[in-house]
Amino acid sequence: MNQTELLDQFILEARECLEGIGQRLLQVEKDPSDSELLNDLFRLVHTLKGNCGLFEFKPLERVVHAGEDLLDRVRNHTLAYNDQIADALLEAMDFTVQMVDEIEEHGAIDNAADGRSQELAARLRQNLTPGGATAAPAVAAAPVAVAAPQVAKPRPDWATRWPEALETQYPQAVAVRYRPEPECFFKGEDPWNLVKLTPGLVHLDVASLEPWPSADALDCYKCNLDFVLLCDTPKAYIEEHFRYVPEQIELMVLAEHAPVGAAAGASLEAQAAAQAEPVRDPMQAVRETLRKRVVQLWMDQVSLLKRPGIGLGTLGGVRRALTALLSASGDDESLAAMAALAAMPPQASAAQVATWAQQHVPGGAQAGGSDASGVSAGNSGAGGLPPGDGARRGGGDDNNNNFQGGQKVLKVGQEKIDRLMDLIGEMVVAKNALPYLAQRAEQVFAQRELAREIKAQYAVINRIAEDMQHAIMQVRMMPVGTVFQRFGRLVRDISKKLGKDVSLEVEGEETEADKNVIEALADPLIHILRNSLDHGIELPEARRKAGKPTQGVIKVSARQESDRVIIEITDDGAGVDPQRVRDKAVERGLIPADKAQTLSDVDAVQLIFLPGFSTAEQISDLSGRGVGMDVVRNAVERINGHVQLSSQFGKGTVIRLSLPLSMAVTNVMVIESAGRRFGVPMDMIVETVRVHGDDIHHFKQASTTVLRGKIVPLKPLNELLALDADAQVNSDGELAVLVVRMLGEHVGLLVDQFHGATDIILKPLEGVLSGLTGFAGTALMGDGSVLMVLNPKELL
Amino acid sequence: MSIRYLKKHAALEGVVTVEDAETLQSWLKNHPQGAVNLSKCQHVHASVLQVLLAVRPKIIGDVGDPWLAGILGATASQAQAA
Repeated sequence: MNQTELLDQFILEARECLEGIGQRLLQVEKDPSDSELLNDLFRLVHTLKGNCGLFEFKPLERVVHAGEDLLDRVRNHTLAYNDQIADALLEAMDFTVQMVDEIEEHGAIDNAADGRSQELAARLRQNLTPGGATAAPAVAAAPVAVAAPQVAKPRPDWATRWPEALETQYPQAVAVRYRPEPECFFKGEDPWNLVKLTPGLVHLDVASLEPWPSADALDCYKCNLDFVLLCDTPKAYIEEHFRYVPEQIELMVLAEHAPVGAAAGASLEAQAAAQAEPVRDPMQAVRETLRKRVVQLWMDQVSLLKRPGIGLGTLGGVRRALTALLSASGDDESLAAMAALAAMPPQASAAQVATWAQQHVPGGAQAGGSDASGVSAGNSGAGGLPPGDGARRGGGDDNNNNFQGGQKVLKVGQEKIDRLMDLIGEMVVAKNALPYLAQRAEQVFAQRELAREIKAQYAVINRIAEDMQHAIMQVRMMPVGTVFQRFGRLVRDISKKLGKDVSLEVEGEETEADKNVIEALADPLIHILRNSLDHGIELPEARRKAGKPTQGVIKVSARQESDRVIIEITDDGAGVDPQRVRDKAVERGLIPADKAQTLSDVDAVQLIFLPGFSTAEQISDLSGRGVGMDVVRNAVERINGHVQLSSQFGKGTVIRLSLPLSMAVTNVMVIESAGRRFGVPMDMIVETVRVHGDDIHHFKQASTTVLRGKIVPLKPLNELLALDADAQVNSDGELAVLVVRMLGEHVGLLVDQFHGATDIILKPLEGVLSGLTGFAGTALMGDGSVLMVLNPKELL
Repeated sequence: MSIRYLKKHAALEGVVTVEDAETLQSWLKNHPQGAVNLSKCQHVHASVLQVLLAVRPKIIGDVGDPWLAGILGATASQAQAA
């Protein structure tokens, strides 16, 4: 799936989520105690957040993440739902909708949204602590906090955990206290990594929240760390860096606090005055350093811009950085430049921004005389589109302009497609009546000409109907890859749990099959994979001993073979030990011991399909409960598929699933018995033979015959259906025998007549009739009669 | 596995992940005199860090990561002072 497709799907799903969220938010407001509703809501927000994480949509993710945290608290009843929360959530949702619209239109989020997103996230987080009073920092959109406050704030008690010398060295530094929450490791966070990567880190101190327990009592997965950092970087960068854990950090801008060792009697006003006018002598050095740093950073941004092929996000980041640098210098000239930068169109290309930035190095170092307005005019003339935009729009058609915001994908309920399918079924049946009509015209009314015309007309309708049927089937088709997608995670998790090294290879994901088939396939496939992981692939040491690479390979491949989809799951593991399977089957009383020993190895391996079979010595959470391959086989057979297993002991196992492309059309053989017609699914039939009455051996009630050296039990169909008639014998004294395959064995059904095969649309029995398991369903024949389709498996 | 447990010391190499914290802790519990060698260690997960801080095993060799060295050095000297 390429990026654009993924993005389209993201937008589609995000809209769906947002719609659900909007609905539920309103419902929750009516009944905040409904925990199921809250869970539902949380799940939707969670899904949305997960989806956002796939892309670099920071502003969006930040808001959704904050919303999720808030809802989690509400859901766990640690926070009462109130109007304030509802307002914040609804507002955040509106913002999200806007963002999604924007993403759909431009493929990216405008950087202007960043400030608003921070504001919304902060508002959401304010609600995290009851009463609204919060430790979370007020996240301001202003990037650099240079302006000194009116009154110096008192220093917090943790302000002693860095050497004083650093404060004079880095007067603009920001101190951070970061206390990760105890459960943070379970959320996949690594506070130490986060701390180490803090921008501008100059000092780092670690302590414990509570005194360290003894080595025995220590719970190494409960975070007990307390970091204090000193960073020589603007506060906004720190906030950005710790954006996912804003409630766990405390910030202190050194310049806003009383300096170390300030005399207690010193007037606060005097201090404030000294800081409010930083041009005074003590601050002159600071100004100088600041200016140098600004220039240095500015040039860094310029060189970044000159790199080939930088992304939109980077460009936005650079522009933000430039604005921040300008506001840091704070003089009139910079302010003018800032306005010019803001006036630049958001689509300005990297090269344009780079040229501009080079000409406007802050602090009077400008080279070249071109003024800002000239450059920005040139920019608007060029009016470059963002790179992603053209590509994303290119695929769309002109309708796009007429239906702004309309979606190209139409979501239709499955029942509507099913209805179409039913209708086309009826159409096929109605169409099939035409040949009968032609026959009647010719035979009864002696109208050959008319009969030919009807037949010609029939050919046309037939073609259209077939195309239509095909088109509708196509709508229901889904690539098998949708099921395969979740395998990667499954294999990774389970192999890790079992200490095995397994790689998963998938091929043929694009093979398509009917939606019902695909959906029915998911569980059996996961079962097979688990089996392969648990029983098939050996531990790395065992593999090395056996002379195989330590990494096991599980290969899942799908392909189409005429009208069936073949899915093969191959592993290069230990394979199935036929002797062990025999022993286990006998031990569990599934087959008698003498029979087990007579089975060939190939047949013995098939025993694992018996219900209740398991070779696992221990019951693990993966397997060993005896619900195993028989479940797989049942699930596959329910959709008219077959499972085949072939295994070479020590080399590996291949499981082959063969499934129908579609369950809509069934091929049946029509037979006649006691004057009634019945259908038998073609895939069960082995052969049709006529057996002479003398070749049938009777033993008590049972009768058998020998076909190709094999004894085949015979059952009269009439008896099975409780029809009071004997099977008809033809003029040569022969009986018609339909041999069907039943769990690997052949059984002969005595019938009266064979009538050839036909394609039908099988309708399952409904209402009270659904209790009749002996019939698989009914079908309407071309001449208007109803054909009952037998289910021989249940009959016998 | 990014930790090699040797007779007298555990060698932490490359990136030590959260999964290793528990095994390191139990190894240190079973080897009270055991030392750790962090010279080839690029990064430890915070949970491993807190095991090191709580148990304070002897550190042998140089510590590859300067920040980590700073912290472990500081705690070590504090321990001596106490």
